[in-house]
This record gives sequence, C-alpha cells and structure tokens, in this order.
Amino acid sequence: MASTALFRRVLALPPHLRRSVYSSTATHTGASQPDIYDVVCIGGGPVGLSFVSALRSHPSTSALRVALIDSQDLSTARTTKDTETYSNRCSSITPASLRFLKQIGAWEHAKRGRTQPYHAMDVWDGVSGSKIHFDSVDQQQTGLLDAVAEMIPGSRFQASRRKYQVEDVGVATMCENANTTSALLQRLHDLDEERLNERRVFDMLEKTRVESIDLGPESKDEKSLDLSQWPIVTTSHGKIAARLLVGADGANSPVRQFADIPSPGWDYNQHGVVATLHVDRHHTVQDLRTAYQRFLPTGPVALLPLPGNKASLVWSTTPQHAAKLKTLSPPDFTAAVNAAFRLMPVDISYMLSPTSTTTPTDELAWRETATPAASTGLPRNFPRIASVQEGSIASFPLRMRHADTYTGHRIALIGDAAHTIHPLAGQGLNLGLADAESLAKRIAYGVDHGMDVGSCWTLDGYNSDRWAKNNAVIGVVDKLSKVYGVGSGPVVWGRSAGVEVLERLGTLKGWMMGAAAGVK
Amino acid sequence: MDIRTQMSQHTFRRLLALPQPLRLRTFSILNRPPPNYPGHVPLTLVERGALALGSAFGSLRNPHRHDLIAALGEATAKPYFIARLRAAMLANPTGRRILRDKPRITSQTMSLEKLRQLPENTVGRAYAAWLDREGVTPDTRDQVRYIDDPEEAYVMQRYRETHDFTHAITGLPVIIEGELAVKAFEFANTLLPMTALSLVAVVRLKAVERKRFFETYLPWAVGNGLKAEEVINVYWEEELETDVEVLRARLGIEIPPDLRETRKLLRDKNKAERAARDAKDRLGAGMGL
Repeated sequence: MASTALFRRVLALPPHLRRSVYSSTATHTGASQPDIYDVVCIGGGPVGLSFVSALRSHPSTSALRVALIDSQDLSTARTTKDTETYSNRCSSITPASLRFLKQIGAWEHAKRGRTQPYHAMDVWDGVSGSKIHFDSVDQQQTGLLDAVAEMIPGSRFQASRRKYQVEDVGVATMCENANTTSALLQRLHDLDEERLNERRVFDMLEKTRVESIDLGPESKDEKSLDLSQWPIVTTSHGKIAARLLVGADGANSPVRQFADIPSPGWDYNQHGVVATLHVDRHHTVQDLRTAYQRFLPTGPVALLPLPGNKASLVWSTTPQHAAKLKTLSPPDFTAAVNAAFRLMPVDISYMLSPTSTTTPTDELAWRETATPAASTGLPRNFPRIASVQEGSIASFPLRMRHADTYTGHRIALIGDAAHTIHPLAGQGLNLGLADAESLAKRIAYGVDHGMDVGSCWTLDGYNSDRWAKNNAVIGVVDKLSKVYGVGSGPVVWGRSAGVEVLERLGTLKGWMMGAAAGVK
Repeated sequence: MDIRTQMSQHTFRRLLALPQPLRLRTFSILNRPPPNYPGHVPLTLVERGALALGSAFGSLRNPHRHDLIAALGEATAKPYFIARLRAAMLANPTGRRILRDKPRITSQTMSLEKLRQLPENTVGRAYAAWLDREGVTPDTRDQVRYIDDPEEAYVMQRYRETHDFTHAITGLPVIIEGELAVKAFEFANTLLPMTALSLVAVVRLKAVERKRFFETYLPWAVGNGLKAEEVINVYWEEELETDVEVLRARLGIEIPPDLRETRKLLRDKNKAERAARDAKDRLGAGMGL
C-alpha cells in the first residue's frame, strides 16, 4: 500500500519535519524569521559594554538573552604594552562611576598601573587670574579634630574620628578609554566562561554593521508571532528582533533616529585638541597629583595627570587655532601649550594667528620674562611641559545636544546617543556610565516584578531618574563655558569676585565637589 | 607614607598657613615692596588717589606743569587703561617689535642735525621743524615712576615720548589750544584717562578760542582719533624718512587747519580793525565831532 508506506515514512521523519506535514503553524520559515533577543545593545563603547556587563552580572538579569552589536573589531581594543606611550583618548572617572565599575566587577581587570587618581584641582581665570583650589580634603570635611587625632596614632580618639571619614577616592581617576573598554571586555569574557555549561544567552556581534532598523512586519494571522511593534535590526549577518533596543551608539545614533526622538542643541564654535604630554618632573605612585584647568576667552585648557611624567591635554579653542596647533612642529606645540597656561590671552592668540611671523618657541621665551606668574594666577606647583608624544595630537568639534526623551516603546538611549556635553568638566563619560547603571537597575526591577522589559512600565523609571539630572549638569557646564567665554568687562569682574568668594567657603566647595563626583 | 597621613599633614599645613597676603592690591607704607625697575615708586591705593586729585587740580591751575600732567597720567592709567593699551600693542606685529626692542627717544638717540638734513615733507624733517618752531627738545619728557609693571611703564614712557610726533604730523602747536586738540585726538585713539581729564582745561581758554575748539578742533580730533590706526603702534624710528602725506594716509589722519596761521590772521585782522578805529577817532577829534 503506497499510502501506508508513505505514512510510515512520515512517522520516521524527525519531529520538526513530521509536524510540518500536518500543521502549518509549526512551519519553520527559515532565515526570514528574525532572531529574538530580550535586550539588544547597539554600540560597543565603554557605556554600551558597561551596560551589558551590568545586566550579565546581576542575578535577576543574567538569564536574559542579550546581544551587543558593534561595527568594529572589539578584540583589538587593548592598551599598548608600551608603558611609555599613552592614548590621547583618556577620561576622568568620578568616584560614583568607579563604584559602578567595581560593582559590576570590571575595574579589577583594568591595568591599574596605567590609571592615575588625582586628589586636587586648580582652576583659574585666564583674564583676571582669580583662582580656586579644590582638594579632596574639602570633600572629606576633615577639620582640626581630625588633624589632632592623627597626631595620636592608635588612640581611641583617632579610631572614633576614623569612623566618620569617607573612603578616600580623591577627586577622580584618569583612565584611558582603551583601558576601560578592555577591562569590560575581559569581564564579559569571564562571565561567559563561568556559564560555559549553561545555555548560551549572550552574543557579542562584533564586526557587524547595522544596515537598518525598522519595525517588524504585520503578522500574517492571529496565531503567528506579531513583531509589528518590535524593532528589527537588519545587520550584515541577519535580522535581530529586540524586546528592548538600547542605543549606545554615539552622537549620531541610528537608534535615536529610528525612534524619531529629536535632540536639540547647538555647536560650540570650538574644537577640542587632545594630546599626551611629558612634563618635567617624574611622579611616583604615592605622590598626590593635581589636575589643572585655565579658562581662556577662546576656551578652557586642561592638563590632567597620568602615571609617571605623563599628562593628558584637553584644549578647547577656536577652529582656526586648532588647525594651526596641528600644523606646529613638536617643540613649537610644546611652547604653545606652555604659553596657554602661562601667558596673557593676547599673546596666545597672536602666537596661534595665521599671520604671526615668529615661532611659538621664540615668542614664549620673550613673553615669559615679561609676564609675572602672580598676575596670571599660575599655581605655584604647575609643571613645565617638556615634550609631546609623537602622533598623539588630534582634535574634534565640540557641541551640545540633549535628546528630548531617553525612552520610547522598546527603545532606550544611553551615553552620547542621549546627550553630548562640553568637555570642560570631564562629565561626558560619567553621565553615560550613570545612565547605564540606572537602566540596568530598572531592567532588573522589571524582571523581578514580571514586567516586559521593553514596555513603559520599566523604562519610564529610567527616564525620570536620569533626564533631569543630566539636563542640570549639561546646563551648568554650558553656562560656565559661556560665562568664561567673555574676554573683558563686567562679566569678568563678576565671575572673578564669585570665584574669590567661593575659594574661601570650604563647605560650599566640598558640596560642589560632591555634586560633580556624582555622590548620591 | 600613605595617602591618609599625607592628607592630614596637608590639612595641618593649611591651618597653620598665614592668610593670603593682600600685597596684590595694597601694602603697608611702613613696608613698601622693592622697586620693579630703576626709578619705580610703588604706591598704595590711597596714595595713588591723592596723587591723581592733587595733580589734576595743580595742572589745571598751571598748565605749564608738565610733571603734574605726567603724574596724573600714571596715577589714572591703572588698572584697565594701560593694560588695554599694552594689549593693543601686543596684538599688532609692529607694536610687538617696539616692545621687544624698547627704543627710547632722547636727544642722543634722535640726532636733530641729521633730521634737519632730510628732504622736505619727510616725517623726520617735519618733526625737527616742529621742534624748532615751538622751541622744545626731546629731553623735556619725565620718567615714568608710578606704574608697577615694567612693561606697562615702558608703554607709558613710549606714549609720552611719541606725543611730539603726533604734534608734528598734525601740525598743531604747543599752545594750550593746540595741546587740547592733540589730547582729544589721543583720547579717541589710546583711551588713556589723563587725556580726557586734560580737556577740563577748556575753561582756561578765551571765548573765541573755546568757540574755535568746539566748532573745528574737537570734531576733527574725535573723528580722526576713532578712525585712525593706533598711533602707539607706529615705529617712528623707522618712519623718519617716510613722506608725511603717505604716513597720514596709511594711518587715516587728515590734517586740521593750521592753528598758528588762523590765530595770526585773526590777530592781524583785529589789529587792522583797531588801527582803523583809532584813526577814525583821531580824525573825529580833529574835526571836533
């Protein structure tokens, strides 16, 4: 009997093919059905990686199916083995961000020899010379009693004072972006190793370009899966459906564009010039380091310490000056940087103008003798820049953007995709890390309470937690850059008077440092 | 030593440190700081204010007291105006060269015999001719004493020494009327307060002179001073052989009406009128009218 033979052959088939004979719903549609993930994070920078690490480290969310998509090869994001060269992309990590990185278990994988905590900050006005000195001593609120207690080591008095002291973390820690990224990648790799026997839930899709993001197709009938409200990411390796799509993909975020979230803001008419510099004195690990920032009318110039005799330069200046700086020879560039901290603004502008006929080295040698350090507000311990690391001079345009909202249906934005800020306060990466921490917490809360992680029930909490705080920081930094962009007149007098008063109010300074450190 | 001990030592040092000295703003006259350059006399704020007031009234009473005018200039130039002038020099390539070389104009550095040999219509010849016409020499300028920064003191000295060159290329004489016109021009050009304060001396002019000043010379001075390049940035030692018309065109200065000529014409006219009136009176007396 042909039909009996056929029937026996059908029964001999493997289950999924056998089912396809008598049921249409079990039909495997093959490559056209997108791969469904709980959380898809587009962007493998420090913020995206820290978000995914937070999800993987938290017990509530470690079972979620997560994908990380990045167009670059993440395995090459390592720091160089050479201890003498430092990348010019360094970030200042505040104590709150550091606590987050330690909590997710990533900080222990960072190369500690290449990070530099600093304990003081000297900030001064380039026009009037009025200065303010921030010390982590102010933050600790140590006073006379604590100083006396330290004089009697081992006493009960000292033990009682120690109880009130906050853990010493300094003002912030300088860390290369590659160092942070490689530490996070190492943590993700270790987490994967731990779960080798379990079902694989984390996929790192590196070298994968995102071709488009669309909503899913209308479902064919009531019984098949309805992905019409889900974002589907079309990559060079296939389609991915996301219960929650997180955009950590930088200032020109495709996820934000897909979600139609406007991001108003403006461009500062400034470029940030970065470089790695060598200073004239060598510091050991125990030395207390200081960060320096001088506000010139063309933009602030900052010198941030790195281990040994290295320092990182961030100089925000006009596009013309930035272009001229990049054409200077290394000795002239070094002279220009020394001039930026020591000379009057008119001399610095002349040095970098396209029509100047003398070299910066020459000008610095002459003008330094005529510019007394007391009149420009130069801090006493300010080092001399000796040379610049070859190939480390680069620049990028500065702008301010803030997305109107960080969330949408099954969409969330973190990091630079949500906001871009002026680098003068070193808050860009820190705001992004705080975003990642907050979103991961909200997703854990959602999972614990049985919510759909892509719905507004989970995501509204993230928006209300972060949007107002980020807006405040971005606003304050923007106003600071505008107030210090004025070269003469009553604004200069007003800001100098304000700085002089603030310098003498230790408690207020301590509060400001706490706010900048992100202490909750 | 660990960070904690280092930081408590730091606290202690801060507690024991003396409060920041106020020397940047003022100091005790019993403990005057050392001079920054030869001839420097550091003044407190009160002393500077008293100097400004005293020299202002003194020079108003006797405008020939050039040392009081000089002191008024130095006492009122800080903190903003002399710094602005110095920044204007530093922003200009020629001004920077002047500040680097720091040339001085004295009778040794400016040889008048050589200047008189120069062709007609050159700056140097005009300068020498003007000095001879007015009967002054380059040595009549006082040294700057009351400005603290040595470079700002040089800027003030340079302004003072090149004041005569401004007279020479505008042709204004050294009488009060001419000086006031030059001061008004300099205020519009350099913004030094002393130049504006000297204009108070218009009260010393006669009615005719005052009318002439407000109608002709003040508008000329303000208009040209604002329009022209900064005269402080002219490297006069290099411009001695330039044609005066060419220099004026480059700087954007128009020459005002010759003041001495105008005054002479007016004086002659008045004399002629008075002579005619006297003659008429005598004639009238002779005829018994």
